[in-house]
Amino acid sequence: MDNHAILKAGAPAVLAIALAAVLPASYASNLLNWIAIAALIAASLRMVLLFGELNFGTAAFVSIGAYTAGLLTTRFELPFLAAILAAGVMAALVSILFGYVTLRIKGPYFKLIGFAFAEVVRLCCTQIDWLGGNSGMVGIFPPAGLDAWYGTFVMTVVVLMLVGLYAVERSDFGKVLTAIRDNDAVVRTVGIDVHRAKVICFAIACFAAGIAGSLQAFANTVISPGDFGVLLSIMALAYLKVGGEESIFGPVAGAALLILLGSVALSFGAGEHVFYGAAIVLSVLIMPKGIVGMVDGLLRRPGGPAASTPAIREARGQ
Amino acid sequence: MTDTTALLRTEALTRRFGGLLAVSNLDMDIRPNEILGLIGPNGAGKSTTFNLISGFHKPTAGRLFIGGRDVTGRSPEQISRLGLVRTFQHGSLMRGMTVRDNLLVGAVGALPQARGEPRRARVAETAKRLRLTAYLDERAGNLPHGLQRLVSIGIAVATGPRVLCLDEPLTGLNQSEVAGILDLFRSIRDEDGSSILLVEHNMKAVMQVCDRIVVLHHGQKLASGTPAEIGRDEAVISAYLGKRHDSH
Amino acid sequence: MQTALQIIATGLQIGAIYVLFSLGLTLTFGIMRIVNFAHGQFFTLSALVVAVVMPYLATAGLPLPAAFAGSAAAGVAASLLLGLVTYEWGFKRLQRDFVGSFILSLGLILLLEGLYLDVFGGAVRSVPPIIDGTVSVFGASLTSQRLLLCFVAVVLTGLLYAALAMTPVGKALRAASIDHEAAMLQGIPYQRIARHGFMIATLLAAVAGALIAPVSVVTTTLGSDYLIKGFIAVIVGGLGSIPGAIIGSLFIALVESVGGYFFDPSRASIAIFALVMVVLLVRPQGLMGHG
Repeated sequence: MDNHAILKAGAPAVLAIALAAVLPASYASNLLNWIAIAALIAASLRMVLLFGELNFGTAAFVSIGAYTAGLLTTRFELPFLAAILAAGVMAALVSILFGYVTLRIKGPYFKLIGFAFAEVVRLCCTQIDWLGGNSGMVGIFPPAGLDAWYGTFVMTVVVLMLVGLYAVERSDFGKVLTAIRDNDAVVRTVGIDVHRAKVICFAIACFAAGIAGSLQAFANTVISPGDFGVLLSIMALAYLKVGGEESIFGPVAGAALLILLGSVALSFGAGEHVFYGAAIVLSVLIMPKGIVGMVDGLLRRPGGPAASTPAIREARGQ
Repeated sequence: MTDTTALLRTEALTRRFGGLLAVSNLDMDIRPNEILGLIGPNGAGKSTTFNLISGFHKPTAGRLFIGGRDVTGRSPEQISRLGLVRTFQHGSLMRGMTVRDNLLVGAVGALPQARGEPRRARVAETAKRLRLTAYLDERAGNLPHGLQRLVSIGIAVATGPRVLCLDEPLTGLNQSEVAGILDLFRSIRDEDGSSILLVEHNMKAVMQVCDRIVVLHHGQKLASGTPAEIGRDEAVISAYLGKRHDSH
Repeated sequence: MQTALQIIATGLQIGAIYVLFSLGLTLTFGIMRIVNFAHGQFFTLSALVVAVVMPYLATAGLPLPAAFAGSAAAGVAASLLLGLVTYEWGFKRLQRDFVGSFILSLGLILLLEGLYLDVFGGAVRSVPPIIDGTVSVFGASLTSQRLLLCFVAVVLTGLLYAALAMTPVGKALRAASIDHEAAMLQGIPYQRIARHGFMIATLLAAVAGALIAPVSVVTTTLGSDYLIKGFIAVIVGGLGSIPGAIIGSLFIALVESVGGYFFDPSRASIAIFALVMVVLLVRPQGLMGHG
């Protein structure tokens, strides 16, 4: 990445971590945790969107991450960091299996199958006793020494993950993924295995989702199947849509805005669902590029991306 | 001439779509260092043939050989990696990305293991060759039609193909653009040592640049030979060329 | 034997509602190529209105059947209005855009369910049945109410079939669903046809909702519960296919009936979802759909 990009990304990242470090344990720090984890889940969704698919099974992979971390910590007493890493790896492994089989299907079917998969995972969790069944799992504690610093830890991990996802996006591999979304037939003609590229990207995205799940498990110390229902996927979508898909900051902006406004709305007694629902509807209809996209558009040169540059004008003989 | 000297060879290649026999019993080959034209009226089976040799359709019958190897039924990616790269008739590029990134995709295809530097070099080289250097940072979709065509050819050229298959690359180009591209084809044949398979409706260009021509009609090979031979062939004249063609 | 018949009978009763529900879904997908997850909200609104208006009319002195008819009319009208609004200001702009319309419909689910909760309250309602008693068919018992439901479902399906096959609008809808560009070239006014298709789908959901009110507990999440099953039915039967929607619905209803009888409902659900995944992998266009 060039220096300008590093500065642009680095400053807010450092600020975010600093903020998390100074906030005492409080409603505000919980909110910040919540925003960070939500941003990561939305970023995972965005990663899959790079090659043009909507991963409506995101909740399943968050769930797998959360349950893996929970299980390894409570039953097998694995060290904290190992449990978090294992959560991501487990989610990635399952996603490779799932993705290999399902990413071949085109059209709306992938979304539907993702949805079905998320439901299957959720229902299975309610049926399996050693996962706690319907009541879920309790006692998922981060190590005692980390307690006061958990918020900082979460923010650091999320920032690192976002940086990682951004690095992938800007790499040649990321460009290939964008090309696949634009015109996958052409990508095939240059000899690139499109399916394999999709599976790899999917695995990376689900690794991130698994990590987010584990962070959530330790933050709440209890998890239950109901936490990972369809609503989670819909919310992630809301954060992404409202924030804007085109930039890595979109998920962050969307999560921050919706969660903050949501908690304000709640304090006025308004229904949470109405709020999120309205946010999604409005974004899709009025702000298809989301907040970040809108701001970005205003800051660019007037005339937008289709404006003529000198080179184009010359080519047109103008 | 033995089989293995042909870069590509089809043997009784056939493709049926339900009741329609789009291509039937096609025997053709592409030799090293040649520009082969594939012509025929609409519906003659040119696009289907293209899709068959590039792996986008599986043949109903017959076989396909690339460099002497039987590749019948292989996927487009596999065939591309053997050196056969094709373009599409419409929109054979990524309009939402810059020209640079478009060419980069081709470079990635050619150099899957490489790091950044060799790929960037290839992008720069290809851009220079197609005279696209001034437009590298433009969004491909903003370019005028002729330049977009060049970009789509550029993506294929960047892969360093042994057989470059172009599906109506000259459509919508003006005289000077056509002349430029024909020169490019000749340089690909002469300097790169590659061959080109050209499906085209622009008869004048085909006659000018092709070393050999294969004529399709109703899914079958009607004739093949040099432009001069084809120009004289009675069957071809009556089926396709009509009285409008006059040899120079 | 008795049990088998009972299971089948229950299955058919459940299936009748699924059929009406999924006919609308398949129509929207088939014509406009949009995935409308909010379809259930039209269903719910109609049921809620009936649940609220019918007792009111009944206490005002109207005989039960009339009260039902009046409230059903109100319910259907309300749903149609909602459908029109969501179409004009929402789905119309997102035709043929899978992702956009999908996301919009998700937003609508949240928004509408929340609004229903605010307006109608969270209390579960039930409506007195219009026709009392049970009927014995080949030794299996059905409530007369549900039998009426089946009857209406069959009639409506038949009407829909006939309309699609014979009326100009119906033929245009079918043409547009097969190849919308060709249909436009033939001079079929696509926008108008799409609106008709969407409104017919909404009407079906609204009628289904009005009919379900007397036989089921009405909650604000009613639509979502049926939605999942309806979508599964449509996927299995084939997105865009009317016969597919019918077969799929009956099939799902039977699986539910059998599953509910022999197994845990949760396990039955798992089986159904797993089945959906298999179908989507092996034959994504469903039993009767055209890819």
